[in-house]
Amino acid sequence: MELLYNIFVDPFIQMYEAPDFLLQVLWEGLVSGVLYALIALGFVLIFKSSRIFNFAQGIMVVFAALTLVGLHENGVPAWLAVPITLGVMYVLAVGIERVVLRPLVGQPDIILFMATIGVTLFLIGFGEFIFGGENKVMITEALGIPTGALEFEPFGGFVLIEEKDLAAVIMAVLLVIALLAFLNRTSMGRAIRALGDDHQAALSVGISLSTIWVIVWFIAGVIALATGIVWGARAGVSFALEVIAYKALPVLMLGGLESVSGAIIGGLLIGLLEKLFEIYWGQPLLGGNTETWFAFILALFVLLFRPQGLFGERIIERV
Amino acid sequence: MKSLTKFATLIAASTMLVGVGAATVQAADSLYTPNLTYRTGPFAATGIPIMNGQRDYINMLNARDGGVGGVMIDFDECETSYNTNKGVECYEKTKGDAIVTQPWSTGITLQVLPRTNVDRIPILAPGYGFSPMSDGNTFAWAFNPPVSYWDGASMILNGISEGNLDNLKGKKVALLHLDHPFGKEPIPVIKALAEKHGFEFLPIPVGLKEMQNQSAQWLQIRRERPDFVVMWGWGAMNAGALTEAAKTRYPMDQFVGVWWSGHDADLEALGAKGKGYRSLSWNVPGNYPVMEDIKTHVVDAGNSMIENADEMDSTFYQRGVVMSMYLAEAIKEAQAKFGTAKINAEQMRWGLENLDISEEKLASLGMAGMTTPFSTSCSNHTGHGGAWMLRWDGEQFVQDGDMLSPDRDLIMPMEAEKAAEYAKNNAPWPGRGDLACD
Repeated sequence: MELLYNIFVDPFIQMYEAPDFLLQVLWEGLVSGVLYALIALGFVLIFKSSRIFNFAQGIMVVFAALTLVGLHENGVPAWLAVPITLGVMYVLAVGIERVVLRPLVGQPDIILFMATIGVTLFLIGFGEFIFGGENKVMITEALGIPTGALEFEPFGGFVLIEEKDLAAVIMAVLLVIALLAFLNRTSMGRAIRALGDDHQAALSVGISLSTIWVIVWFIAGVIALATGIVWGARAGVSFALEVIAYKALPVLMLGGLESVSGAIIGGLLIGLLEKLFEIYWGQPLLGGNTETWFAFILALFVLLFRPQGLFGERIIERV
Repeated sequence: MKSLTKFATLIAASTMLVGVGAATVQAADSLYTPNLTYRTGPFAATGIPIMNGQRDYINMLNARDGGVGGVMIDFDECETSYNTNKGVECYEKTKGDAIVTQPWSTGITLQVLPRTNVDRIPILAPGYGFSPMSDGNTFAWAFNPPVSYWDGASMILNGISEGNLDNLKGKKVALLHLDHPFGKEPIPVIKALAEKHGFEFLPIPVGLKEMQNQSAQWLQIRRERPDFVVMWGWGAMNAGALTEAAKTRYPMDQFVGVWWSGHDADLEALGAKGKGYRSLSWNVPGNYPVMEDIKTHVVDAGNSMIENADEMDSTFYQRGVVMSMYLAEAIKEAQAKFGTAKINAEQMRWGLENLDISEEKLASLGMAGMTTPFSTSCSNHTGHGGAWMLRWDGEQFVQDGDMLSPDRDLIMPMEAEKAAEYAKNNAPWPGRGDLACD
């Protein structure tokens, strides 16, 4: 009886009694969700255009962030370090297309997936060689990102919102709007979507596979840089950031691998629900740390009913 | 340009490594002391400075004294990324000629512990590993000087209670810990002390994937309002926790970390916001004569992996130096006892079991006051020396008060019980076997 009370009644009493705390939990969940969505977007873009599950997305986040910080440490001003980092990500995209993807055109998906594991290992080694393994501080202030905090006192309590988290949310929203506009309103965006729908048909109407791949990997690099900046501003820049890529997996399972809106809604849903579950059920009843598995269980539950995810395309294969 | 230089260095280093590898094979007169390092991966940021300190001390002995007792030390590194599977592979790869193994993770230590009994290679795990390893009669091949995690937990509670744990009665102490064998180590001792002294104990685990985003854990801290937060963190977890503590405005003088949660770089990133944070430490950073020797013979000679000589001042670098000093002193003990410079693993085990790090010895090594004095014995493989609190003053760590001592009366029976339980669960466990206590 007590267990049932703790599951079905007590959490809601806590929410009612401390609404300011609930607001803080929801805000933290929203910020986490935005960050998860950003990582997932990088995966979705590449999968959408090439059916490749890019295992290297996590290390691209680290590589982009380290390049930015590394350039600044060597005296390059932040306003210049950002475009140079984007240039590096473009060169990386061209390199991956020329050296890794192009020779593997027509190979099974699993081969291309394995190739991205190779890219990951290369970037880890190369990144550690160039930048070292030490933790670095994100150049938050130099980038003009505010570092203060806003305090509110709703319901007689308090809610604290860090300005850099607010900036992260705004930046993510702008990035997503720009991305959606690019994909839906430009000919290049339509070409990417066409390639994702049917490679052979897209090629037959003159869409260049190699150009699209370079562009898509470059956009994934831009998203990686944005992700690296916002995550790095929270807890420093190190190779530990690579681990956060795994947080995108349940988002992709939930939202669908080829849906941009699925990545965003999936990320927000997981961010909010895992935080609520951890605070009101996980910590009091299960000893905490439920965030390591909650999202996967939620995604598995969704897959039971929608194997393609909430927003994924249903693939019907006829024999 | 810097990258090009680094690329050229890589080529040169690769060439040298081939040469060094060949030299290792040829250097039959050296003592092989592999170190299972992690200069890559999520824990590299905290691992690198310590491992640089370890490496540089041995390089200094090789350069200044021609090694130890006239024989050069071959201080090989095998990269594990703090991954237990890779660690076991590294152990297997390096055990052939090794006179000691340094597993460098509690997870790896637990995995190689049974193997070292069979391979008859001593484990040297300074300040980490399984706390009951202190029981030398059960774990004859394992050594974790100068203090164990259980000692650490006891000393932190002694520190925050100002020497009287009854002061904690009715208070709440949270343990923010990595959800990993290392992070769980202090739980039995804190639980026992909570029951004995009437304070509430609240463990708060942090998963490996949550190290960078601990908002849930710090929301729990905000809700529970513990009087003290004790951190058992490593790698990226420390920076994540310190950032969240500052963000949520948890009083820094009520936030204390174990010795692996006192990395200068993590606090430098926080600056004045970290003022008041304390970390237990069994070494005190400072200007010791030994550091001058390392600078002269290794750093200035271009044989160190550090990029800036200032890194030598960090707590972690100097802790690495202390760790390698334990290794070198055990070799000396064994050489003196067995009358040979080229000792084997079994003789090294004896050296570790008869390690005597006295204040006089520390002074003679140019390390007076740098670390805690202690000695090991057949039944005591830890030494249980003691540790200090270091306090971040906004710019650097400074010693905060006198040396703390663990509550050995409480811990010793727990060690004996857990050691016996381990032996029973891993029967037939050899214990000391044929090893005499002399």
